[in-house]
Amino acid sequence: MTLEDVRNQFTDPTPADLQLIARYGELPDDARRARAFEAFAKSGLPNRRMEQWKWTDFRAGASSLETSSGKANVELPLPDNALLLRFDGKRWHLPEKLPTGLNVFEKTEAQALGNAEELPMAALAAGLTGHPKSIDILQVEVTASIEQPVFLDFDFAGREMAFARIAFVVRPQARIDVIEQHRGGAGLSSTIIEFGLQKGAQASRTLLQAGGKEEATAVTAAISLEENARFKQTALGFGAKVARIETRVSYNGPNATASLNAAYLPAPGYHVDFTSNVWHGAESCTTRQLTKGAVPDGGRGVFQGKFHVPRTVGQHTDADMQHKALLLEDGAEVFAKPELEIYADDVECAHGNTSGQLDETALFYMRQRGIPKAEARALLTEAFIVEALATAHDAVKDALNEASRNFLRREG
Amino acid sequence: MTLYIRGMLKLDDLSARVGEGDEAKTILNGLSLEVPAGEVHAIMGPNGAGKSTLSYVLTGREGYEASAGSAMLEGEDLLAMEPEERAAKGVFLSFQYPVEIPGVPVMTFVRAAMNAQRKARGEDEISAPDFIKKAREVGAKLKIDADMLKRPVNVGFSGGEKKRLEIFQMMMIEPRFAILDETDSGLDIDALKTVADGVNALRSPDRAMLVITHYQRLLDHIRPDKVHVLAKGRIIKTGGPELAEQLESEGYDGILGEVL
Repeated sequence: MTLEDVRNQFTDPTPADLQLIARYGELPDDARRARAFEAFAKSGLPNRRMEQWKWTDFRAGASSLETSSGKANVELPLPDNALLLRFDGKRWHLPEKLPTGLNVFEKTEAQALGNAEELPMAALAAGLTGHPKSIDILQVEVTASIEQPVFLDFDFAGREMAFARIAFVVRPQARIDVIEQHRGGAGLSSTIIEFGLQKGAQASRTLLQAGGKEEATAVTAAISLEENARFKQTALGFGAKVARIETRVSYNGPNATASLNAAYLPAPGYHVDFTSNVWHGAESCTTRQLTKGAVPDGGRGVFQGKFHVPRTVGQHTDADMQHKALLLEDGAEVFAKPELEIYADDVECAHGNTSGQLDETALFYMRQRGIPKAEARALLTEAFIVEALATAHDAVKDALNEASRNFLRREG
Repeated sequence: MTLYIRGMLKLDDLSARVGEGDEAKTILNGLSLEVPAGEVHAIMGPNGAGKSTLSYVLTGREGYEASAGSAMLEGEDLLAMEPEERAAKGVFLSFQYPVEIPGVPVMTFVRAAMNAQRKARGEDEISAPDFIKKAREVGAKLKIDADMLKRPVNVGFSGGEKKRLEIFQMMMIEPRFAILDETDSGLDIDALKTVADGVNALRSPDRAMLVITHYQRLLDHIRPDKVHVLAKGRIIKTGGPELAEQLESEGYDGILGEVL
């Protein structure tokens, strides 16, 4: 397929789409990548006319691609013993030494572990990674329990666009802890993180996303779990002009468990979207999901969660989805769509979805004790958020709580 | 030489309306009261007399603004202050219904409160060791164990535990002027005794207290200097501790009939 053919796939390309097409043209031919880019071309940058993107419009958010000047003022400390894998917007930088049981392969093409590539922003990343001259795809093989956390540092400063991809294959009974810092810096970015957890494997993922006010950024994760595998995810999102943190979990073997916790704190002018889809494709799997958000005037939070429990294979599913939002001020916006699609009959599935304001009675109680109004609001909000971050990796939990505290003090 | 005894709290012709628009009702209607430093006064009254409204007007709760009259604490206009400013001046309310604060441990909360007040008064913060030492001492007096102090404020506490925690906070904060709103409700007799001991321990020449209660039984343990009967938004009768006993035997109807 020529570049002209690719361009013709776009019905109404925006200037940003044209930049993406040009970028695609710089890459060598590759059938797998071509399929991904064609999949992206069907819709172009996802926009509000698409059901799954009605609240998170990348076409509007990335009208033309420029380097983002506003960098978020939030940073995680690099834990002492962490293995740093840094992505500079173009390529990965690896540590000199790796522990036994951890193998890192630089790739020019990726073997998909999950179904992330079905999603337009992930398809875009799949279509635009695999540059032969700069390593933008990594595959990590974990064959033992690795005590040191792997720290993925995504820093796109100075780029118009950035695309990265990393996959973790965790062999039976092995374990890995991953900490991710998504600092943003590019006008448009999309990252794919995949986990393939084999029998009895464990992985944790702790994520901080804090992008600039002029960027559109997507972080898409796909996690597949075999029998008895365990996955634990904790994310704190401050958003960007448009930010989507999407997680797809699929259970492929029985008795696997996943917990998905997230907190969103979009400042005025920021947008953060947590979208997830959990496929209970095996019996007796357990999902626990808690998403909390606190939004000031001018901030925008989105939660879209879906549990899908098929009739034949989803028996004895135990799944709970909770979304709770605090609207801190008039003008705060929260959009939520929790969905349970259950076809199996012997399951325990529950969900809750609330959004409201701070408890005036509690605020008065605190002020009566001498705590100033702004401080009381911040304390109450912090206490509300902290529950969702309780599952974070110990090495960065305090830093995440401090980041949320600083945000709430500033907003107070 | 002039002997000058200053009233700690002075309420003059205080009125308050609660609710909005056509729904607004006059709850306090020309209430005058003076509580000198060093004294404990009781306010008794039937349901709906305005007892809790008085405590909220004095502490500045939103929706309980005074419509007329004045409330002065040591010569300063309480009604012009924010709730946290009143607290820093020394006003403490033991709530009738203490509020749950999920996620905020008692110790964190009380320390934040004490330090916020100290900061507002231009004082140094209490050090962590001093705070912990004091919390242990006060906790022991009130039979509050260390575990309870680590739990989120009032979350999952029994009615009695909540009331004891109110007194714990009062003893930690050491206010100049304390209002105890129905502190006896929900307490069994042992807890009542413990709470009363705590309150009595705080009696001091430079502190005043207003004990709001429906029943006399708390006043058996906290002997008031004066008893005021509140009805229809104002003080209709004032007397010594014997007035509480009279109320207990005759009921409010007797007193109300006598006065009105």
